Amino acid sequence: MKAFLVAVAAALVLATAASFLLAENQRFAYQAFATSGARVSDPGTNLVGPRWTGDIKEPGAAGHKPAGHKAEAGS
Amino acid sequence: MARMKFLCDADRCIECNACVTACKNEHEVPWGINRRRVITLNDGKPGERSVSMACMHCTDAPCAAVCPVNCFYTTADAVVLHSKDLCIGCGYCFYACPFGAPQYPRVGNFGSRGKMDKCTYCSGGPEADLSVAEYEKYGSNRLAEGKLPLCAEMCSTKSLLAGDGEMIAQIYKERVIKRGYGSGAWGWKTAYRETIAI
Amino acid sequence: MRRLTSIALLAATLALTVPAVAQVRAPDGAPNPTASSVNEEMLFKQDPKIHGRISIPNATAANLIQPQGREWREFRESWMPWIGALAVLGMIAALGLFYFTRGRIRLEHSEESGKKILRFNGFERFSHWMTASCFIVLSLSGLNYIFGKRLLMPLIGPEAFATLAQYGKYAHIYLAWPFMLGVLFMLVLWIKDNIPGKIDWIWLKQGGGLLGDAHPSAGRFNAGQKMVFWMVVGFGLAMGATGIMMIFPFAATDINGMQVMQVIHSLIGVVFIAGILAHIYIGSLGMEGAYDAMGSGEVDLAWAKVHHDLWVKEQQAKTASGPQLGRGQVPAE
Repeated sequence: MKAFLVAVAAALVLATAASFLLAENQRFAYQAFATSGARVSDPGTNLVGPRWTGDIKEPGAAGHKPAGHKAEAGS
Repeated sequence: MARMKFLCDADRCIECNACVTACKNEHEVPWGINRRRVITLNDGKPGERSVSMACMHCTDAPCAAVCPVNCFYTTADAVVLHSKDLCIGCGYCFYACPFGAPQYPRVGNFGSRGKMDKCTYCSGGPEADLSVAEYEKYGSNRLAEGKLPLCAEMCSTKSLLAGDGEMIAQIYKERVIKRGYGSGAWGWKTAYRETIAI
Repeated sequence: MRRLTSIALLAATLALTVPAVAQVRAPDGAPNPTASSVNEEMLFKQDPKIHGRISIPNATAANLIQPQGREWREFRESWMPWIGALAVLGMIAALGLFYFTRGRIRLEHSEESGKKILRFNGFERFSHWMTASCFIVLSLSGLNYIFGKRLLMPLIGPEAFATLAQYGKYAHIYLAWPFMLGVLFMLVLWIKDNIPGKIDWIWLKQGGGLLGDAHPSAGRFNAGQKMVFWMVVGFGLAMGATGIMMIFPFAATDINGMQVMQVIHSLIGVVFIAGILAHIYIGSLGMEGAYDAMGSGEVDLAWAKVHHDLWVKEQQAKTASGPQLGRGQVPAE
């Protein structure tokens, strides 16, 4: 029983480690398929993203600012 | 209802990629995801042709058949749509698709590639038409506004045709008869099991 | 003179070529631009898929039409559910039939009943259970790819099913790694005891004690257990290799390669599940006393002498005091 519990725990630990390693290897399509063109804004990950409010009265106030990605030029 | 189809008249396509840009802008498609793309065949050789390709909204769509969570559905206009809430990102549609239409936000491995994204024929998803939720996930819903897909609407040479299958086939037939040649409706045999007889 | 001849030749060639080009014309007299244009049928004759050039950095998007997915779909939707159901349900039916005809193989008591002998040490049991627990989750989440939408989805509804399938997919991809590690551990631990020999042939000819009442001699592992070992190692490594090729798309193979990998992965998968069902049966319900080997690690000496006589002799020869352990005594690892 002890060996079984240790084995299940080890499997979970290894699976978690694998998930981090696989996530490490993961790249966004906008990184993988980027060209060296000018970048004027953050590319976002999934259409306009979950923070889109639908409020498009002012230009640039769409609430779409994904964090963590550095704009390479402009903005 | 209409049976919506795409038809790319390769003899008119000039590979300007306006369809690609229009699609990306209309739906706020992120970089790296290409719902529509232009492929040049025999590049630089005599007889070079370019074809604009996206999801063809197949009859008896293979993606819908193989999906392990049945997240695809066909609208009354025969547009093949999917639910990003149900999609598990397994990539089976991508194995089955003859046109390479399914796209994923991440590319490294299938563990966490994210929800599949593909051409919606400018008709959104399962959410209420023209709702915020629909726009966030699938982009705009031009069909609900009574408009056709933007890629075809703004094609500068009217190479890319979108609309009812019979109508666009008729337009193409007339063109071929008038000008005397045509390299055929690309992908129709694979997508619709029929081609345009001229 | 020579120069003149070549000019004349050139002129003659031109005269021959120009009308040839001019002949291909559209009805209105314009030059026909499709004279040498590519078309679908022609390209499909050259190659089973139509490939071109694309200006975006995603090179795999340069395939215009790749109809091979239809054959893969045919396999996955028309064949695989039947093959899978036949393998899994067929094995369950066979085991049920075996249980009701042969019954549970009982422990044969002798004067040595009650004494214990260490069969699997802690690390061996750990490797077994790590692989086994991963296998159960992997097989259920794997079967879910085929049968989930047919059996489970109508029961619990699309939303709940999609959530479950999402976690199933994560479990399938992440638990694959400890599973592969466990298979490698077991390969290293037990390969020396699993080399097929003459004794295995005799064991098989006598029905392994499963079909008759005979107890053919066996070493640490009998022929049946050796078959399970080689099945786990062979199938485990094959599942790992094909699975890795699918986890990392386009790393080793193109889309057609991944379709083939999926076919191999699913076919081996269902046969593997059927094989392991038999293994689970004989290790628990099918034979009294067998479970202890992987449970506590210690088996009844009477059981061991009946089923693994040569191994018991070997163990008793190794230690002068005999391999018997008292209850609760921690085996040396």
